[in-house]
Amino acid sequence: MKILTSMLALGVAGIASISAARADGETIAVFTKNQTNPYFQTVRVGADVAAKSLNAKILHYIPTKPDSIPEQLSQIEDVIVKKPSAIVFIPVDYKAMVPGAEKINGAGIPMVNVTDRSAGGKFSAFVGADDYSLGLETARYLLKSLGGKGKIVIIEGVKGSLTNVDRVRGFNDALKENPGTKLVASQPANYQRLAALQVMENLMQSNAEIDGVLAANDAMAVGAIEALDGANRKALVVGINGTKEAVDAIKSGKMLASGDYNGFVQGCLGTMIAIRELRKEPIVAEIVLAPTVITKDNYKPYDVALETRACPTWEEGSKMGMKR
Amino acid sequence: MTDTTKILPGGARRLHISADVLQLSYRLLAALLICVLLSLLTDSFLSLNNILNVLRQASLMFFVAAGLTLVVLTAGLDLSIGANVGLTACLAGTVIHVTGSPTLGVLVGIGVGAAIGLANGIMVTALRIPSFIATYGMLWILQGVAYWYMAGETIHGFPPGFRQLGSGYFLGLPIPVYLLVIFLAIGTVLAQRTTWGQEIYAIGANPVAARLSGIPVAARLLLVYTVSGTMAGLASIIFLARLNSAEADIGESLTLPAIASVLIGGTSLFGGVGTVFGTFIGALILTLVLNGMNLLQISASWQPLVTGAIVILAVWLDRMTRRRAF
Repeated sequence: MKILTSMLALGVAGIASISAARADGETIAVFTKNQTNPYFQTVRVGADVAAKSLNAKILHYIPTKPDSIPEQLSQIEDVIVKKPSAIVFIPVDYKAMVPGAEKINGAGIPMVNVTDRSAGGKFSAFVGADDYSLGLETARYLLKSLGGKGKIVIIEGVKGSLTNVDRVRGFNDALKENPGTKLVASQPANYQRLAALQVMENLMQSNAEIDGVLAANDAMAVGAIEALDGANRKALVVGINGTKEAVDAIKSGKMLASGDYNGFVQGCLGTMIAIRELRKEPIVAEIVLAPTVITKDNYKPYDVALETRACPTWEEGSKMGMKR
Repeated sequence: MTDTTKILPGGARRLHISADVLQLSYRLLAALLICVLLSLLTDSFLSLNNILNVLRQASLMFFVAAGLTLVVLTAGLDLSIGANVGLTACLAGTVIHVTGSPTLGVLVGIGVGAAIGLANGIMVTALRIPSFIATYGMLWILQGVAYWYMAGETIHGFPPGFRQLGSGYFLGLPIPVYLLVIFLAIGTVLAQRTTWGQEIYAIGANPVAARLSGIPVAARLLLVYTVSGTMAGLASIIFLARLNSAEADIGESLTLPAIASVLIGGTSLFGGVGTVFGTFIGALILTLVLNGMNLLQISASWQPLVTGAIVILAVWLDRMTRRRAF
């Protein structure tokens, strides 16, 4: 983990030297799912930072109604008319947006798939993270901190969403590795802060002892912490996404850890691959980022304004995928 | 014109109250039945701690739905309350962060909420836009502004004194429960005991007759939409204090449960029938369902189904018992 964070810190110098040698000005259209989830903001800023250092321009396409399929489809029609040099694409729905992806293919615009793997369409590369290992590693860290024993609560996200299924599966597998732990409840709070607060308040009524909370995202983790605080109870809490709020909570000791989905790096690498392909430089067809668990020991590089973070260099980034 | 005599203020007052009280007792019965069932199914339900916990959770939903009740009584609808809570929470949160003054934040939150409600009222009365459309449009505008303003960020970490509003206790009772009692009393007195309240019922029952009998319909409508917006602003403050953070989509999941609370509580979408106290019972029933499912650890797969079934059963039970009673 330390290696990754120092990579991020060293990133600026590397990219600056590459971009200096280029004449350029490509336009990259970046499609994200919504304006509400801080995660997609990290992807957008990652894309902006990468494009700036490579002298390319970014156009953002964000549905005004979060995750709206018809709106992203009509944005695709717009983008085909505008004809950017390349597209970095996060489908609002990995199945429903396949016809949209195929339309872009038909228009001959090269495209990199980021975060959610599209079920169809032709992409020059995929950059993402793996929710299962993210859940597994984050839960392992909490269970290790508890000495492999204690009573655990899982707060699930939206029932049936892919990210939730994989994260919760990771949580449960980590629990299986630690027979000294006991799962006392696994309840949904739909990735929402208020729901998580109330679910946690309710679970504290039926469980006199809760030692650890595994939340499927940071907003729910922070909601659970507020509930614990309100009842003057203590438990170790982890979340997933590595949001600014989670980093602050880790810094102040309120939260134990957050699994980083690496949205910033995904934005960086997706954009870098799109530009490299246009410039006829070698690319990597798939980068599934290894999970990083942000803890009190390694939060520092995350504790800066998003815009001032640096992308990894291509040499570093292309090797950041998980060994399979 | 035969309706006129029925809805005239004064003459109608006693009739309203007795019918309402009867209806309320049936709604309370449904809530009580859920309580009895839950205390049989789990030991954790019937403890003072859990009852206070349920009341505090129900109070949050009640604040959002209380003002809406008055709007529905006039046969209108306010779809913008959730988005109102979202935007006002973000603005009030910013003010508290920048100025360090919770008082200023509370004033801004309630003020902005009221202004949004007033704007809804103006659209409905002066511009004659149907309330569903006017407040649906407002929902999008507020959401758009909130998303743009927050850009995916979260404002968090408020002064401990301010947070008492949401998570503090006084004499062993949660602060939101005191606020709940206060606003329940104000709402009930306003609706049942004042001429304004009776005029609101009259407008909902028959707007033409209400106008002909000299009720200032536009002024009263302006009032109910402003009250609805103000209550959303107040709710956003309590949410802010309880959650210790604000984000743009904080109120998105509130609108439908708030409308459900009003309707489960016995207020008619066609106006003229219902009570603010009924809305509290509606909010209580929804809160009890979540509490019960968490205590019984019902799996995520079944929770939506159970919620839907209990909501329908609760209202059906009320309908059936009343049909027999009459």
